[in-house]
Amino acid sequence: MQPGQQSNIPFIPGQVPHRTRTPLLRHRTSSLASISSEQSEIVSPIPRRHQLLQASESRHWLPSPSVSPVSTRGASPSISHPATSPRSHRLPKRTRVNSVIQQDGSRTVRFPSPSHLAKRVHPPDEEKKQSDEGGMARRWVRWMHKQGLKQWVLPNAILISTLLKWCVGLGTYSGHNTPPMFGDYEAQRHWMELTIHLPPRQWYTYDLEYWGLDYPPLTAYVSWICGIVGSWIDPTWFALEQSRGIETSSSKIFMRSTVLFFDLIYVIALVMFTRVWQGGRSSRTQHSALMSLLFQPALLLIDFGHFQYNSVMLGFTLLAVNFFACGRDLLGAVCFTLSLGFKQMSLYYAPAIGSYLIAKCIYLGPVEGRHLFIRLALVTSATFALLFLPFLPPFAPPSTILHPITRIFPFARGLFEDKVANFWCATNVVFKWKIWFPRGALVKVSTGLTALGFLPSVVGLIYSGYKRLLTTPGDNVQPDDVKKAVSAPPPFLPLLPYALLSSSMSFFLFSFQVHEKTILVPLLPLTLLLSGSSGDSETFELAALVNNVAVFSMWPLLKRDGLATQYIALLLLWNRLIGYNPLRRTGSLLRYLAMAIYTACVALHVIELIIPPPTRLPDIYPVLNVLISTPVFVLTWLWSIKRGIEVSWASGGLGSSHSHHQAPPLKHQPSNDSTASSSSTTRKFSSVEAGKAKDWQWSDGQKNGAAAADGVGLGEGRQGEVFRRSVGYKQGTGILRTASVGGVR
Amino acid sequence: MSTGVSPPTDSATLRTRSKASKEDEPASQVDGPREEEQPKQPRTWAESWRLDMANVDWDTLYMSLGLKFLLFRSYRSTDFEVHRNWLAITHSLPISKWYYDTTSEWTLDYPPFFAYFEKLLSIPASLIDPKIVDLDNLGYDALPAVLYQRTTVVVTELLLGFVLLRFIRGSVDPSLQRLISASIYMHPGFLIVDHMHFQYNGFLFGILLWSILMARNGNKLASGFLFAVLLNFKHIFMYLAPAYFIYLLRSFCLSPSGELLPMHFLSLANTVILVFTVSLGPFFLMGQIPQLLSRLFPFTRGLNHAYWAPNAWAMVTFADRVLLKVVQYFNIASVAINEAGVVSASRGLVGDTIFAVLPNVKPIHTFIITGIFQAIFLVKLWRIPTYKSFVTALTLCGYTSYMFGWHVHEKAILLVLIPLSLLAAENHAFFRTYMIISITGIFSLFPLLFTPAESVVKVVYLMGWSIFVLIPLNHRTYEFPASRPFVVIDILEKVYLTGFVLLQVLFASWAVIPQAIEYWTYIHTDPLKRPPKQDTPVASTGMEFLPLMMTSVYCAVGLIWGFLRLSVLYLRQSQEVAN
Repeated sequence: MQPGQQSNIPFIPGQVPHRTRTPLLRHRTSSLASISSEQSEIVSPIPRRHQLLQASESRHWLPSPSVSPVSTRGASPSISHPATSPRSHRLPKRTRVNSVIQQDGSRTVRFPSPSHLAKRVHPPDEEKKQSDEGGMARRWVRWMHKQGLKQWVLPNAILISTLLKWCVGLGTYSGHNTPPMFGDYEAQRHWMELTIHLPPRQWYTYDLEYWGLDYPPLTAYVSWICGIVGSWIDPTWFALEQSRGIETSSSKIFMRSTVLFFDLIYVIALVMFTRVWQGGRSSRTQHSALMSLLFQPALLLIDFGHFQYNSVMLGFTLLAVNFFACGRDLLGAVCFTLSLGFKQMSLYYAPAIGSYLIAKCIYLGPVEGRHLFIRLALVTSATFALLFLPFLPPFAPPSTILHPITRIFPFARGLFEDKVANFWCATNVVFKWKIWFPRGALVKVSTGLTALGFLPSVVGLIYSGYKRLLTTPGDNVQPDDVKKAVSAPPPFLPLLPYALLSSSMSFFLFSFQVHEKTILVPLLPLTLLLSGSSGDSETFELAALVNNVAVFSMWPLLKRDGLATQYIALLLLWNRLIGYNPLRRTGSLLRYLAMAIYTACVALHVIELIIPPPTRLPDIYPVLNVLISTPVFVLTWLWSIKRGIEVSWASGGLGSSHSHHQAPPLKHQPSNDSTASSSSTTRKFSSVEAGKAKDWQWSDGQKNGAAAADGVGLGEGRQGEVFRRSVGYKQGTGILRTASVGGVR
Repeated sequence: MSTGVSPPTDSATLRTRSKASKEDEPASQVDGPREEEQPKQPRTWAESWRLDMANVDWDTLYMSLGLKFLLFRSYRSTDFEVHRNWLAITHSLPISKWYYDTTSEWTLDYPPFFAYFEKLLSIPASLIDPKIVDLDNLGYDALPAVLYQRTTVVVTELLLGFVLLRFIRGSVDPSLQRLISASIYMHPGFLIVDHMHFQYNGFLFGILLWSILMARNGNKLASGFLFAVLLNFKHIFMYLAPAYFIYLLRSFCLSPSGELLPMHFLSLANTVILVFTVSLGPFFLMGQIPQLLSRLFPFTRGLNHAYWAPNAWAMVTFADRVLLKVVQYFNIASVAINEAGVVSASRGLVGDTIFAVLPNVKPIHTFIITGIFQAIFLVKLWRIPTYKSFVTALTLCGYTSYMFGWHVHEKAILLVLIPLSLLAAENHAFFRTYMIISITGIFSLFPLLFTPAESVVKVVYLMGWSIFVLIPLNHRTYEFPASRPFVVIDILEKVYLTGFVLLQVLFASWAVIPQAIEYWTYIHTDPLKRPPKQDTPVASTGMEFLPLMMTSVYCAVGLIWGFLRLSVLYLRQSQEVAN
């Protein structure tokens, strides 16, 4: 877009009465492209989706615009009142004037037909800004599409992210040039050396003092493959014992490229995620969501800077989640088992995934559910058995299996090692846990607290499954429908990301032996949620904040690794990419909290740069870092529980008993439903009117209905509350209806 | 020019513009297809300096900053130490000893303005880490030094970004100019030479483009002033001086009918003299001018650099090598072989290039050839002293010097690539020329970064840059080839450009081949009993310069073809206008 145009025809609201701004007049001054794109946001038909994906509406926890046939959005010329547009007071400053006018108008003027919606055009100034809105990713994708480079977007996004990953890898890594023990880089390299020279039986017992293998067997196999390939190129890189601490430039390049290669799993999972979970949305939205996931700074810094293979574990988990969303539960279970077999850290997800699968079994009813359960159990144990095959009896003495197990779960180590932003380390400032309590008690307490932490999400999932039971006695559900439901995502699928977040965050906060890098595990579901949220939603705000704080919480580690410039560069880039400006004031409580936290972070960095830590308190800066970061993580954990409850409520899991099965709610609540859809449309309309039309905007309203509202929640106050009561619940029942119709019919 | 586009005029421009340029740009009133895109007139001085950055511009800035930050820890050449040493010289020695110091082998050999510039940079450096400016602390590359010096490159390059922004403001098609500006700001050449290899080209080209911008806006005095300043920063820009001289003389000092405008002439002359006085004055007073000149122009080097810059002489040298092989193989007695040349051929390294078969080239020959070619273009410029003509002539002047100059360094290709970018979207012919020269020229810079990790960066970055810049420009300018010869040329050019992929694959695998050979030789030996390996690539097989030579020759083909293309385009275009 050209700046010249922008500045030449200024829009002066006072001079032109808004009612006389006929569509025709505004047509003339606006560019054709943006009109058509806006039209598509308002009146274009809903993209047809695969029948498999259409089975359940409620999976659009990530907003998808599959409006039910009852609520043709144009045909709802309803009034908008403040309660249905809770977010209008959070508009960016520059659109505020216009939005006030529109708001005013929408109160008095009733738009008679959808054509008005379609032809609603903003003055050129506004339009320019709209097309400039969003993050760099969005603008870039839009530009690429306009240049006719649509098919290049995906490969290029991956190309650029690969370039950045490689550039991060140009720097130093964990344990660079620090004999005798070096760091994580040397650990990974050592395992490659170990696995190619020793039989599997010795993998978990060989010289444990020097980086003994303490990840599950899949890591060992991957190391083995890397070691074999590396030895083809240069055997000295992985000579047994001789190669310890080898840091030649060629071996570094080889190691870095192995990370990049296995990162492919994660990239593929991300692409699949945008296709599966955001399948109903425009390709631009999918692409920009993909970008915000590809460039996530925390993962890039740890995997490609610090040196680890977390993306493999996360990639497998994400693949599992994607397969669940496709209804391929068995494949998903295999993927998740692989994830567990790569790093035990994905155990953090296990409560959520396990209870999701159990809930699905319950939901399917006694017959199909039991079948599914047995198949899942068989597949999972078979995968585990395959993974541990070299350590099992025919190939090794029975006691061998204990070696990996004891290595993988190091309860012999302390409650926490370095400073990590979790509950134990943060409260350690006051309560000296390690000194006051024996280790055994701490293990029990931490396990109990962790279980308590993920309990709400587990209960929520299972209870949803139970409530949405397909076959209750006296119901006339056809067996064929149940069979179909086996391979379709269940209605409580939207709960899964929240459950993943809440369970992994409770592990991070409360469990035993947590590393600061483990924050990557809860970050994955949160960033997935971010990628699907609109730029002004609460999810977006919180997820961006937590991502930034997570990177900040790893600062002591990154500083030790010499990754300071990468830290700054990636944070800058990613925030720009997703269009997050920490300094923009929006007036929400969350934003003020975020600003306070950013101020604290920056202040800490500046103080650390200027003043060396006092000799009496050498750890003062890491501790302060922990104290700043932990509250944010605790907040996220609480938020995930709250959102879990909201979503399950909205999707009907916590709704009233089985009654809806006996009597189809379609007959029950036609009026309710139309109100719900119309008010959600109004909401959408008014927010779009207010100069915020975006591709993802139109589905935003849907999400607000479906997932019980972004507008609701932290710091939203009374308006949000009203909104939830008036819309969320009704919309929730609407979703319930469509879901049960879709699922059962 | 055939397309008839020239920069729009505004009132400020008209005031300063001479009659000559008014006549030369008849299209200026016609060319605004979209009136609303005419730039706003800067009313006050402050307003004219205002940043008019759209979101997209910020995006470009963020992206480039992010990438450049990430490259802080990448490979850096000895130029890093050169500049650190200059920081130390200018900080710890009095001005009278700057051009005499020989503590390090990297003596100060840039003109005084650059020395002043280093003096300026050394002040914060001394505050951050005094060891940076310690003269005897040779080869110091601790983290603070790296971070500081890399940061200065990034920060001073912002001047380039600023000037490029200004290019957008007054252009005919801002969205197109924005693409071109972004392509220059994110140019792989700068990424390779400045942000990895380490130099300050971004800043210097910022001054050059500023000067060109002033010429576009009609402020020719400022243009001349800025170019004089630039010359005193880095004297390699003398390659471009003839074009400036002719352009300013014809369009500023002379009226269209050819009468001398004494006021203009005097003001320009005084400006240039003033700049040179500020720069060289102190050294003139100290009587150090001969010493300074001997530092700036060391005529002790050979025809070619270690890695032959892909120009005409690379082709000649290559021909000599081939002929030598032929003569030796067929044992042709009638051809006299220069023994020194044989040694030179097998050595292929630094030092004087002596031909074995062909007659040797002396500096004077290169000057004469360069002069003849430049004269041809300058005559055209004299006849059509418009802005577009000026930029083309400027590019061709730099190009000629690069093609036929004595001891040309491969980095000098930036003198061609950057001004040429401004012309990239003139029409399809220009675009194709631009594409060939850009890809070839950037590829010819690749040997500057020989470490494998950085090789990945340069290759991937060039790929990304080409997609983002070349494809949209191609869409905008595309024309179907007019006749059969053009179709053939079109295909040949595509084949040539595809060849770079093969060349890069060969180049990349060349590093692995010795290792692979070694591996298969020792395959039955116990790995631990093999001879220990060095980190440096295996050398002295006699063939290690083959990939370099092939790169040089292959790029030379493309660059010579690009030179011919651009020359023909320029010369033909002038005829059309003349008709």
